[in-house]
Amino acid sequence: MEVSIKKGAFHKPESPDEKPYLIGSRCSSCGYMCFPKKEVCVKCVRDDCMEEKKFGPYARLDSYAVIQVAPTGFTAPYIQAYVVLEDGPKIFTLITGCEPRDDALEPGQKMELVIEKIRDDEKGNSLIGWKFKPVEEKNKS
Amino acid sequence: MRHVCIVGTGMHKFGKFLDKSLKDITKTAVWEAIHDADIDARAIQAAYFGNATGGLTIGQEAIRGHVMLRHAGFEGIPIVNVEGACASATIALREAVLAIKSGVYDVVLAVGAEKMYLDDTARSIAAMSTNSDVEIMGGMGFQFSASYAMTLRKYMKKYGWTQEHFAKVASKNKYNGSLNPLAQYQKPISVENILNSRLITWPLTLYMCSTMADGAAAAIVCSEDFARDNGMDFITIAACCLRSGELGEDDDGQRHIAKEAYEVADLGPEDIELAEVHDAMAPGEMFRIEKLGFCTPEKMGELVDNGYFSLKGDLPVNSSGGLAARGHPIGATGLAQIHELVTQMRGRAGARQVRGKSSEFPRLALAQNAGGYVDGSPAALTVTILKR
Repeated sequence: MEVSIKKGAFHKPESPDEKPYLIGSRCSSCGYMCFPKKEVCVKCVRDDCMEEKKFGPYARLDSYAVIQVAPTGFTAPYIQAYVVLEDGPKIFTLITGCEPRDDALEPGQKMELVIEKIRDDEKGNSLIGWKFKPVEEKNKS
Repeated sequence: MRHVCIVGTGMHKFGKFLDKSLKDITKTAVWEAIHDADIDARAIQAAYFGNATGGLTIGQEAIRGHVMLRHAGFEGIPIVNVEGACASATIALREAVLAIKSGVYDVVLAVGAEKMYLDDTARSIAAMSTNSDVEIMGGMGFQFSASYAMTLRKYMKKYGWTQEHFAKVASKNKYNGSLNPLAQYQKPISVENILNSRLITWPLTLYMCSTMADGAAAAIVCSEDFARDNGMDFITIAACCLRSGELGEDDDGQRHIAKEAYEVADLGPEDIELAEVHDAMAPGEMFRIEKLGFCTPEKMGELVDNGYFSLKGDLPVNSSGGLAARGHPIGATGLAQIHELVTQMRGRAGARQVRGKSSEFPRLALAQNAGGYVDGSPAALTVTILKR
């Protein structure tokens, strides 16, 4: 069975022409953005200014690390990263779609959201969550 | 407001002690501190007990401090349990400081203790993973080593820090640890051997990283008036600040708390003569130093090459060996840092003793401790400044 790693945090495409997106929040007062959703803005410390906002599917790579020693449920090597969502906040993510090598990626490069299996949970369910993959940029300016 | 000071510190050696319980190592640290202060233990009016993972590791989720300290001889007095991952012990110390400042008590005890070596390694690792938001990062296989690696990669790209610099810092700290009888790892390791040890997550290799550890550390905290009235040798706590991480422009809270601590102590980074910083992965020492304002990131590589932060350097950092050599039983680390500073300031550090700038021993020293990770920044951040 497929289980979401965090309910209501993302949209998984149901057809090939649909794009996935993440569901976070934006403060209508100060512009603070976060993912996953929050009902309180940590900058304004108010509970009446947060609006739901969809992020994605693109982001820029902030930094990454190739894990060589895996925790339970994961197989090394794999890549963990921070990406800055397009018009959105910096978030923690796993990376897919490239070799898990120390020179596989370049900070600043364009990444695209993928919703896929993260790992199996203790009950044998497939935990589904967000990952990002590198995007070939044709017209790099 | 009343001035607060430390009159005694103690530690149970950090390391692997499968035959000892959390009670045993707590008792040793507490009584080492009591004997160090040369105080009648009945004078202690309250205790603050820091521990991070006792609920998951040994199954003692509730009343940890009450259980451990009853074994150490304390009944009747109020005991407060404190948890803040790797910063638990410093948060306990801060509670102790606030209690004395408030005027309610004259003498209190701060303890940090952790038992990570069990007969079941998977349980220890699972417990450690709860130092992040388990719903998101824990579930996605977040690792602290990777967090350090990501930060270091940025500095490498921007400021030319190299893996060799990182190995030099790790080697310096292994050397310091080799001179510390209470350290978990007491073997010097060459830069070359550090670089050649197993890759954990580039640029970090095995000998740059802290491992599991058992250990405890404690301090007797009192008002300066009490110390003076009783003719005790005391070290003043000039600042003991606690903040939570935040997402600023160029700051996850580490610069913010450093600024606050310097303001409280009414001094600047240039005044500090000795520092213990939180380096769960030894190269992390470099960005801690930078964020504490001891030098610019541009200058860092050169200072590391020149031994600026070694025992005989201008600003010795992690004279104890730091987290990777002294050991990192997470809930005990903060007070082990304090124990090292106090030991150095009293001139009792033996082969690893450092000199002060204008006195035989350091008179102004700083400890920086951090715990946990949430929403892209550290959960708990502390900076303590001691003054003699």
